[in-house]
Formats: sequence, structure tokens, C-alpha cells
Amino acid sequence: MAVGTEVEIEIAGERCSVPGEITLIQALWAAGKRPVHGIGCLGGVCGACPVTYRLGGATAPSTGLACQTLVREGMTVLAFLSDLSQKALYTIPNHRPDQKDLFLSYPETRRCTTCGSCSAVCPQEIDVMSGVKAALSGDFAKVAQRFTACVMCGLCAMVCDVHIRPHRVGLWSRRIAGAFSSDPPHLTNRLAEIDEGRFQGDWERALSEP
Amino acid sequence: MNSMDESRKRVATSRDARQQEKIPLLAEADKEKLVRDCHPDYKAEAYRTLRLGPNQGERTVHELADLLEGESLVLKERMDLKADHSVDLLIIGGGGAGAAAALTARSSGAKILLATKLRFGDSNTVMAEGGMQVAVNPDDSPVQHFLDTFRGGHMKNDKILLKTLVEEGPAAAKWLMDLGVLFDREEDGNLSVRSGGGSSRPRLLRCKDYTGLELMRVLKDEVLNEEVEILEFSPAVELLSDRSGTCTGAVLKNLDTGRHIVVCAKTVLLATGGIGRLHIQGFPTSNHFGATADGLPMAYRLGARLTLQDTFQYHPTGAIFPEPMAGILVTEGIRSVGGQLVNALGSRFINELETRDAVAAAVIRECHEGRGVITASGRVGVWLDMPMVDRINGLGTLEKRFPNMIRQFSRYQIDIRNEAVLVYPTLHYQNGGIWIDVNGESQVKNLFVAGEASGGIHGRNRLMGNSLLDIIVYGRRSGRAAAERAKSVPAGDLTLEHVDHFEEQRKSRGIVSKRISPMLFPDYVRTEEK
Repeated sequence: MAVGTEVEIEIAGERCSVPGEITLIQALWAAGKRPVHGIGCLGGVCGACPVTYRLGGATAPSTGLACQTLVREGMTVLAFLSDLSQKALYTIPNHRPDQKDLFLSYPETRRCTTCGSCSAVCPQEIDVMSGVKAALSGDFAKVAQRFTACVMCGLCAMVCDVHIRPHRVGLWSRRIAGAFSSDPPHLTNRLAEIDEGRFQGDWERALSEP
Repeated sequence: MNSMDESRKRVATSRDARQQEKIPLLAEADKEKLVRDCHPDYKAEAYRTLRLGPNQGERTVHELADLLEGESLVLKERMDLKADHSVDLLIIGGGGAGAAAALTARSSGAKILLATKLRFGDSNTVMAEGGMQVAVNPDDSPVQHFLDTFRGGHMKNDKILLKTLVEEGPAAAKWLMDLGVLFDREEDGNLSVRSGGGSSRPRLLRCKDYTGLELMRVLKDEVLNEEVEILEFSPAVELLSDRSGTCTGAVLKNLDTGRHIVVCAKTVLLATGGIGRLHIQGFPTSNHFGATADGLPMAYRLGARLTLQDTFQYHPTGAIFPEPMAGILVTEGIRSVGGQLVNALGSRFINELETRDAVAAAVIRECHEGRGVITASGRVGVWLDMPMVDRINGLGTLEKRFPNMIRQFSRYQIDIRNEAVLVYPTLHYQNGGIWIDVNGESQVKNLFVAGEASGGIHGRNRLMGNSLLDIIVYGRRSGRAAAERAKSVPAGDLTLEHVDHFEEQRKSRGIVSKRISPMLFPDYVRTEEK
């Protein structure tokens, strides 16, 4: 699209004409709005700006991150959303947990009907459903790998019919996988060396130089 | 005229030859000259002398000087200074440093209130991609880490602050891992490390190119688990003091109701982050929406001295095309694994692993001397040859190590596995900031600072990976120190006398207000730019 063209879009019922080749957040500014909610890093990694919209002619709505979604002629923005799901409070256990521990925090996870709605809406292209399935079988390493790119926008939780919070299951699983990983040998050695004052002489030399 | 398509072809045809090409690092004197001639820090017209305050007589850029010499928000909106909250520690700012401080302060038993301008976790931290420097390898040491950083900082780093930073790196990594942070590993179980610009050894710990997101996700989760009281959408608009210049709390403003919230706090920690949305010298920025240097003018009015406030980091590779991506960071990690900078003619012009100030200056020189590529929107830049990464390291390297970047560009139909991208320096980091001691305390009693808002650790140029280390080490240290201090000091009187005093000085020196500070948010409504 050539620089300088304009497109007609609709935001929450209001028609506006905005420059082409800009993002939905930039469209809000072009339309004279100054949002404070639903705006964050502007770089696609903080999850502040999930949005649902319909493109002209499409029957089903699409989802995305407003700062990463370009405006298109005939686009109707349905709603700027935010993650209102609750987080379970927990401490990382001393024993290596299994899925029963997960269910203490997120019991509804067991109700997954494998409908795939969560995977369909994820702006990070995560196969959310397969992550939930892996959690159900206690394979937290696999869940962790699946949810690496999760920006915690909460779209998956918003569309789940049985109120699963996949993004929170993903984060819980990642923290468990991390907390129970093996100690890296070099790091362990380095901590011992620092404790023993191994670098004393090197420090004296380094700090005495002008 | 170097059209984009023609230039792109030259990048492709020169790839074979460039793959073998070795460019030596510049001699110290040549590097200094390049930076002095071309780096924005040395553009005299961009600077002015501060007319009042703790750094009176010293220079900084107009955009920051306007805020430091600006008018306090509270002058127009008088309020009853009766405390709505009384706490041991008020943390202002909800990024990595604020979160780390909340956790150590909590362990010390402090009653905490954490106030954020946007949501908790909205920050520059979450956007960091390159990694966190920690000297873990056997052939590396904290002393070597110190020496690299000191040289990179033009030898202006505070030595004690820096020694503390690097020595506590391994403990910071262990602490994060115990909290569940997943750093990339080698097959033998050791932490995977990569090289960064200016570092003599590879020591960047990473989680793919999501390192900041990974840290922020885990820290935020743990702070919430600890049930720390959090007020979102409640930025601080002014600090409070007693009549002897000690910090005694702050005034927050609820952005939804407009109401002021008065917080009586025995200690205050400023973790307000960066300055990118000031668009210094008109540069685009890599920073998040709220990066408007809020902590600086408030601390300045209360008498906190700044240090190295005249130097800013322009990350050499910010995207400039397509237009909606302008300013977005293209991580130095790409250059760490062989990505090459190429001018419009298809030639390299600098060793890609020089420190950021040198690389940025080199890119600016190429564009200034007509060897840049001009986009349809009128921006100029050079190429960053991404496909070279897979060529050098094997097919699939980009996909495995930079999934975030692949996704970001794919949204604009650019496949970085097959195409070079256009870049130009982007305003990225404030090298200096509010002066702190090794416990994170400023010159103002009971006012602590951690993270990007503080100055002295990084000297005049921060190395890649030292900012994530800074927020963890000094976030933890200042949280602990502030909590300890709170045990031995009483709650103070709440006044805005320092603001009245500062305003009197402004008037008596004839300083006409250009700005109300803190700025809180940039305004893009008129310009329609990012």
C-alpha cells in the first residue's frame, strides 16, 4: 500500500478515516484518542493490548495484539480486551510436583474438551491446547517449551468455554520446570569460588589501576 | 540514488564475499574520534546548561532539561496532605527493578506499597531480548566482567557500584533460577552463554530472545504470590518531604478517577525506568509507552544529584521499515552470531561487535555521507543482513534462537531468514541517572533508586546484558536496604515545601515553563507517529 493512502475503519461503533499502513494503536491516536488502558510496550511482548476485530466480508472475528495489527479497509474493531482472569496464589513446593499439585491451583484444567478455541486465538501462534493436554499428564517440561512465547494476554482464557486459564497453567508449569532443573555445574563452581575469595588478588590489581 | 530494491540486490550478491571478511576492532583513539564526530551525544545544539537544581551548571539534552527545570503537577492542583496509605516502603515503578525490590523488601518483613503508572509489569524490562551478563564460565571471572564493562563505559563507571554489580551476578542468576526462570542450557547442563558487544568473553544468559519477558513473567508472578499491595494506573506525580529535605512519601494520581492518593512512606524507591518516549533529538525509540523519565524531575526537585546525565544510548539497530516498526529493537544478539551491517552499496563498514556507541556512530556516518537507503516514509538506514546468521551457524539458527523477531517481522510479511532488514539507531537507554550509593540510596535521605533511573554503574555507555543484571542486583539490594532503613526511622511529616522552594527558584531565575513534569505519557495525537 502506498504511503499517503487512507482507510475507513470502525472502532467501537465509530467510523473513522485513518492513514493506511499503521497499527490499531496508532489508529486510536490518529482518531484523536489518548488511551491509557490497553497500551503497553508497543512491541508485541507485554500482552496489554489484545483486541478482537472483524475484517470486511468475514463471518468469524479475528484476534490479535493491537500494537501488532495493521488497519485494513473495512475493518471493524469489536473490542479492546484485557485479562480479567484470577491468578491462583501458590508457593513452589519442595517436592517435585505432578499434575495433582497443578489441580490444587487450577482445578478447572481437567475439564478441557479439546475444542481448540484457545489455540485459534493465540496471537503468538502457540498450540495452547497441546500445552494444556501436556499439563494434564504432568509433562511440565513440554508445557514449558510450548509456552515460551506467551505474553500473558489472556485471550485463551477469555474464549475457553469451561473457564480454563491456559496462560496461567503455562506460567505455573514453566516455573516448576525451572525450579526443578539441575544446577548448572559452572555456576555452582563460580558461586563457591566467589565465597572462597578466589578473585581477591585479581580485584586488587583491577581496582588499583587508574 | 540508491533505491531499496537495487540496494537489496547488492546485499544478496555481496553475501559470499562478506562471509569471509574480517574487520578488525578500531584502535581506541580511532573509536573515540568516530564517536565524537558522529554520535548524537556530541551534538552541541542538542544540549543546554541546567539553570537550577543539584546539577546547576552542568549539561543535558533539552528534552530532559525541560523536565528537570519544569513545573510540578501539584502546583496547580493543591491537595490535603493527609495520608491515605502509611507504609515502610513505597516502590514507584513496576518493572524488573521494582519487582525484585518488592521481593527482598518483603523477605525483610517490610510493609510495602507498589505503585505503577500502567499495569504491574509494563516496563522496558519485558522487552529486553539480548540476555543478562553473568561471568559463569571457567575461563571468565567477575573481574574480567568488571574490566570489560569499565572499558565500555569509557572508564567513568563508579568502581564500587560496578564491582558489586558483577560480583553479585552469579548469585542473581541462582536466585532467578530458584524462582523458576528458565535460561537456555547446553547439553551438559551448563548455562548457555553468548557474546555481546564489548565483552571479551561470552557471558550472556538468555531465554531465546525473550529474556526480559521471561524475567518479568516470573518476578510479577512471585510478587503477586507474596500478596504485595499494588496500585496500578497510579503514577507518582510528586515526592513528599519533611522540613529537612528527607523524603517522606509521595503523591500518586489515580488515572481513572483523577483523585490524588497521599502515601506516607518511611522509605521510597524510584524504579521508574527509562527515557525513550522523550524522543531525544527526534530519534525513534525502542522503549515502552510509559518511558518518560518520571523519577528524574521528582528526585531533582527534592535535591537528588544526577550523574552522567548527558549521555544516552542509541541502540545501533532499531528497525525503520516498515513504518509501524520504526524504533523497534533488533537485538544485538543477531550481531553476536554473525549478522552483518551493510550499507546501500553492499559493503560492511564497522566490526559489528564494537560497543554500541561506536556502532551507532558508524551507522549514522554512513547515512550522513550518502551510503544509506531511504524508505518511502523518508527514513534512512543501513541493512542488517539476517540471512548471514543461518549461513554461518547453520539453517534453523534464526528460528531456534530468535523466534520473537521472526514473528515480529512476519506480521509485516518480511521473512528474516531470507531478507535483510533496514535499521538505524534508536533511542534505547539512559546511561546515567540519579546518583546512588552501593545500597541504592540517593543523596536524599530515605530516597532509593534502582534500575535505569539510577546512574554511575554503567559509565558513559552500557554494555549489552548489564541492564537486566543491574535491575536484579540493585533491585534486590535497594529493596533490602530500604526495608532495613524503615525499621529505624519514624514516619515523617508530609509537606511539599521542597516544591515551593524549587518554584521560587524557577521564578527568581526567570525560567519560563515549557513543561509540566513528570510528563507521564508522550502525546502522539497530533503527529500520528509512533
